[in-house]
Amino acid sequence: MVVDLWFVFRVLVFPGFTFIFFFTMFCDWMERKIEARMQNRVGPAFTGPAGILQPFADIIKLLSKEDIIPSGAKRNVFRLAPILAFSFVVFAFSFLPIDGSAVIPNSSFAGDLIFVMALITIANFFLFLSGWASSNPYGDIGATRVLTQFLGYDIPLTLLALAPAFIAGSLTISVIAANQYLPFAILAPWAFVLFIVTLQAELEKDPFDIPHAESEVIGGLETEFGGGKLAFLRLTRDVQIVFGAALVVELFLGGPYGPVFFGLPELWYFLWFVLKILAVVLITEYVTCLFARLRIDQVLSGNWKVLLPLSVLSLALTVAVATWIYPLVM
Amino acid sequence: MGSRVKIQSGYLGKAAIEVKAGANRDTVKSLLEANKEAGIVALTGLDMAKKIGLMYHMCTNGVIVTIKTEIPKKNPKIATISDLIPGAQFHEREAADLFGVIFEGHPNPARLVLPDDWPENLYPLRKDAKIDEALANAETAPRQTEAVQAESEGDIVNIIIGPQHPALLEPEKFSVKVEGETVKQVEPRIGYVHRGIEKAAEQRTYLQDVYLVERICGICNSCHAACFVETVEKILGTEVPLRAQYLRTIILELNRLHSHMLLLGHAGLEIGYETLFQYMWRDREPVMDLTEQLTGNRVISSAMTVGGIRRDLQETDIPKVKTQITTLKKKMDFYYKLFENEPSFKIRTQNVGVLSKEDALKLSVVGPVARASGIAIDVRKDEPYEAYGEIPFNLITRDEGDSWARLMVRLDEVVESINIIDYALDHMPSGPFRVKVPRVVVAGEAINHVEAPRGELFYYVKSQGTAYPERVKVRTPTFANIPAFINIAEGGNIADVPPSFVSLDPCFSCTDR
Repeated sequence: MVVDLWFVFRVLVFPGFTFIFFFTMFCDWMERKIEARMQNRVGPAFTGPAGILQPFADIIKLLSKEDIIPSGAKRNVFRLAPILAFSFVVFAFSFLPIDGSAVIPNSSFAGDLIFVMALITIANFFLFLSGWASSNPYGDIGATRVLTQFLGYDIPLTLLALAPAFIAGSLTISVIAANQYLPFAILAPWAFVLFIVTLQAELEKDPFDIPHAESEVIGGLETEFGGGKLAFLRLTRDVQIVFGAALVVELFLGGPYGPVFFGLPELWYFLWFVLKILAVVLITEYVTCLFARLRIDQVLSGNWKVLLPLSVLSLALTVAVATWIYPLVM
Repeated sequence: MGSRVKIQSGYLGKAAIEVKAGANRDTVKSLLEANKEAGIVALTGLDMAKKIGLMYHMCTNGVIVTIKTEIPKKNPKIATISDLIPGAQFHEREAADLFGVIFEGHPNPARLVLPDDWPENLYPLRKDAKIDEALANAETAPRQTEAVQAESEGDIVNIIIGPQHPALLEPEKFSVKVEGETVKQVEPRIGYVHRGIEKAAEQRTYLQDVYLVERICGICNSCHAACFVETVEKILGTEVPLRAQYLRTIILELNRLHSHMLLLGHAGLEIGYETLFQYMWRDREPVMDLTEQLTGNRVISSAMTVGGIRRDLQETDIPKVKTQITTLKKKMDFYYKLFENEPSFKIRTQNVGVLSKEDALKLSVVGPVARASGIAIDVRKDEPYEAYGEIPFNLITRDEGDSWARLMVRLDEVVESINIIDYALDHMPSGPFRVKVPRVVVAGEAINHVEAPRGELFYYVKSQGTAYPERVKVRTPTFANIPAFINIAEGGNIADVPPSFVSLDPCFSCTDR
């Protein structure tokens, strides 16, 4: 069997693992910088130019720390869950077209949107498991909150993700991304706005960062974690945020596609992809800075009573519009 | 009650009522009958060689009435009044710890301020307590481990908040029993960092004590110092120059400004509103700078001294102070807009941790907590001290009684404080800023209370005619407000504990004095 070097390069280096890792670190730095500037602070400033290396320093610090497993913890789950959660998110990432095609070439198949959403759900479930396995009351409560929250928000998120699928007439992410001559954010703004709100909840950011409410549950599910495992939990969260932004880009903002002025189209696609993701990150950070944290019961009742009906409505509206109105216009 | 009662008016507050030990309940009862809104301020214990003196400092209509009684040291038993005034529970537990008084009929006579492994029958504030010896000889009792660990029974999870916890800036322990997300029971255990300052004050001179009591609380330090020096001045009969009174008022109000703004920012942090926290603390910075400009220190100002103030105000400082507070006042408009309109802020604080007016009266709460429940008490208005009698300002009350109202009261008071400082600067009298006082204080006793940022701060000082006080009693506002926390937390959501807790502005270094 001949090892395809190009395939290995794509999976491991670009746009695969290495790129995703470094880009996540860059987004993390940018998020912190934006949040700091919005709060009239400086943010990371010392590690590298403008503190750009701070996320790396944090990860390296955590990796160099002692790795403790509490005696009451369920050892295997405790050890594996953070790594599995991280792997699942990165795996899900590799189905998104980054430079015009997905990480693994020709890996996209009909219905991979559903598959990717399922992967994200599984990753969240591993996060819950990691907190639950640590046998700590704060870890338990934090983990239960993760589970309660993502159970509530997974359904609206999937329903809302179907809106672009209907307009594009396909459940394949690359097809949805490629079919946006006009970004779906313009064609279906209602779905776009709701998707951003739901994503904020799914990613556990303010006003929905309840599992991380340190004044209530200390570290939440991370309470008993330290060292390398904590590094993986943090990485999972960071990659989730970038993945969420990437999903918005693929579904609503035309994916990596944009005007190509000269040279290789892949390079341009890649540039557009990065810029669009940064724009989405800017929006989510803005929302984060704007609100206080809600309470879990407020979030849940808001979800079942408001967001779920709204997302069903949004789907109905999208189906109606996509079937009868857009064919007339375009 | 006839011969059992002796009334001395104008002494230890509005009046001192001396009663026999058995009559303390009846006196409190009749006081409550006369005024339903009466509450307890403090319970001072006093070692009188063969007897233990107990002073119930009661508050009625803003003035203090002291009920004095004596019990034999050999058999220090007295009936509890905590069934009449639930707010007295903690005061009695403290007196039981420090003086060994047994309160018969107390619902929960467990230790409150002393550590679990403190030797039995060693009462630190008794004059004959040989503490060093007893501690050296004492076999250290095993610590109560079952209360320390977070344990779960069935559906009820026992969450320990503190002594180290991100929601608390200071160490104190609360065990909270939680079923699902609902709080079932709260059990506070204070005294984690108790420093025995009341005892230490007896071993220092009055002048040294000014700096000692200032360190009871870093945030309301000037209030502690001011309250202590005023008490001593009352015993001495010193007339403080008017200029010193105005200067003290300015420093006390700067203290209130920085304390309230610290809290309002911290409230943002507790409900996950980091932006509010960062903004508020940025705007608090000029207040700290002003304190430094006027007193030489940013935090512990050390400005008060018996007989006046230590440092005069420079004429050149006045315009600087005025520009700073005018800017601050303008910035407050932004916070009003935020507190009144921001939906996620309101949803987390409105109707959260409601303390009804009846409960607030029963628990004898003080300060902004009481004012947010519609009780119009403020020592600055009720018994004006320093220059407060001459300065016009509004007494802020709100009727909602929830966390939001407690924060809004403080926001309103920030504006009032700015106005007070502004007025005091405009009407600053000239003259000396300090008078000489003797180092040896004549025999006597006095009480005093001031309005600290967190509420009424109470001091009792007894002098034997030496340079050292015989007894210094401090009742801090947080000590009076902790029962309110139990009241508002129970039955609520666990996620509501931080916002309702922080809205009480607890200060544990005050509590563990």
